[in-house]
Amino acid sequence: MHRHPPTNPNAPEAVIVDNLHKRFGPLEVLKGVSLTAREGDVITLIGSSGSGKSTLLRCINMLEVPDEGRIVIGGEAIGLKKGRGGRTIPADARQVDRLRTRLGMVFQNFNLWTHMTILENVIEAPVHVLGVPKAEAVDRARKLLDKVGILAKADSYPVQLSGGQQQRAAIARALAMQPKVMLFDEPTSALDPELVGEVLLVIRQLAEEGNTMILVTHEMGFAREVASEVVFLHQGRIEEQGPPDRVLVNPESERVRQFLSRHLSNGG
Amino acid sequence: MFELLSFGPNGWGGQLLGGAAMTVAVSLSSFALGLVFGSLGASAKLSRNVALNALAEVYTTIVRGVPELLVIYLLFFGGGGIVMAIGRVFGYEGYIELNAFTVGVVAVGLISGAYSTEVIRGAVQAVPHGQIEAARACGMNRWLILRRILVPQTMRYALPGLGNVWQLTLKDTALISVTALAEIMRVAHVAAGSTRQPFLFYTTAAALYLVLTTVSTAAFERAERRANRGVRRA
Repeated sequence: MHRHPPTNPNAPEAVIVDNLHKRFGPLEVLKGVSLTAREGDVITLIGSSGSGKSTLLRCINMLEVPDEGRIVIGGEAIGLKKGRGGRTIPADARQVDRLRTRLGMVFQNFNLWTHMTILENVIEAPVHVLGVPKAEAVDRARKLLDKVGILAKADSYPVQLSGGQQQRAAIARALAMQPKVMLFDEPTSALDPELVGEVLLVIRQLAEEGNTMILVTHEMGFAREVASEVVFLHQGRIEEQGPPDRVLVNPESERVRQFLSRHLSNGG
Repeated sequence: MFELLSFGPNGWGGQLLGGAAMTVAVSLSSFALGLVFGSLGASAKLSRNVALNALAEVYTTIVRGVPELLVIYLLFFGGGGIVMAIGRVFGYEGYIELNAFTVGVVAVGLISGAYSTEVIRGAVQAVPHGQIEAARACGMNRWLILRRILVPQTMRYALPGLGNVWQLTLKDTALISVTALAEIMRVAHVAAGSTRQPFLFYTTAAALYLVLTTVSTAAFERAERRANRGVRRA
């Protein structure tokens, strides 16, 4: 079985998360989380629902704005300031927009734009955000769609595709921006079981090509194969982190052990 | 009898046709103005600004809660005064008279806009949040998201409701016949009075309105089909 090489301690830091706190009303979802993804890392975030793993991922590209803490993308810290009512807001919306172009996001529910064809979905942001000439964007999009195995569906609308095909299209859309880091938020959780494999196959290929990725997943077997590092979150804190063969096979934490026994017995 | 409807020297055909053209002109202008009011009203209602929420609420409550004929009277008799008061602020002392067309378009536009506000507000809220989130995650700024994602997606939810607003707007233009603007209703009224054939002319007016609504309904169905590409299977 293929194993991802361990973290290279000399590789540049692609994403640094430092002491992140996030509250939703009275509920503190993240209670001081720190994490570093170096170039080439594949970090999987695991944990029960409500542990804060999706919130952590969504803070990295500012879909959620953390209340405290620091996020650094490719050496550039995201500026934050206090807005009205004491809420933390981005200091410069343009900086956030610019940094987001370097972070490819794949959502649980695909979120393909339903009024556009698959090809239009893939070229939309390269053309309108990055200013790539349309012919060039189309050319690149077709290569990416071919890579994820749905080139034949280029002119179809999202509704005409299966869930697995839609998620592969969403991955192509994210890749079209040539991001430095790919973020996956439970990319197979909304899929019928028989469609999970085709999506994992694409993600695994991206991992093997050396892409930097952070992914939230419930697929423990997959995490073990593709991850360079596994991070287990529990109630907003990191309970345990390390190489997959340690965290997923011989965890130190009793909580991780319980979580794994539940998930492995479910065939996860 | 049909000579009365002809285009000859004794017929009303030419005037009726002119009236129909006027009705179309007033309707299109009012509906377009209503879309502007409706977009502003919907943005205000969806805004986090409490003052804007209240302003839009006052607008839709008054305009939808008062008889439409009354809105037209208020604007027709009060509109000139308001414009002159504004003129005096800028140092213009002369007399300003608003023409019937302008008053009619503004009045029906206000009414149309109040209904459009609710249609557009509902349509914006119907757009799944994930569609916007995906756009933000790609680094699109607010203006780009509005233009490329939110407006096209809103259109598909708004078009059926806006089709209704269009029909109401078209029929509401009949009310501005009270300002003597020569649209279908006014021409029919004058013709009925001078020929003593009210039933003939009002039936003709009804037929003209039906032609206009039928044609425009077909146009809206086409637009809906286009906006809904990617929703229903081809």
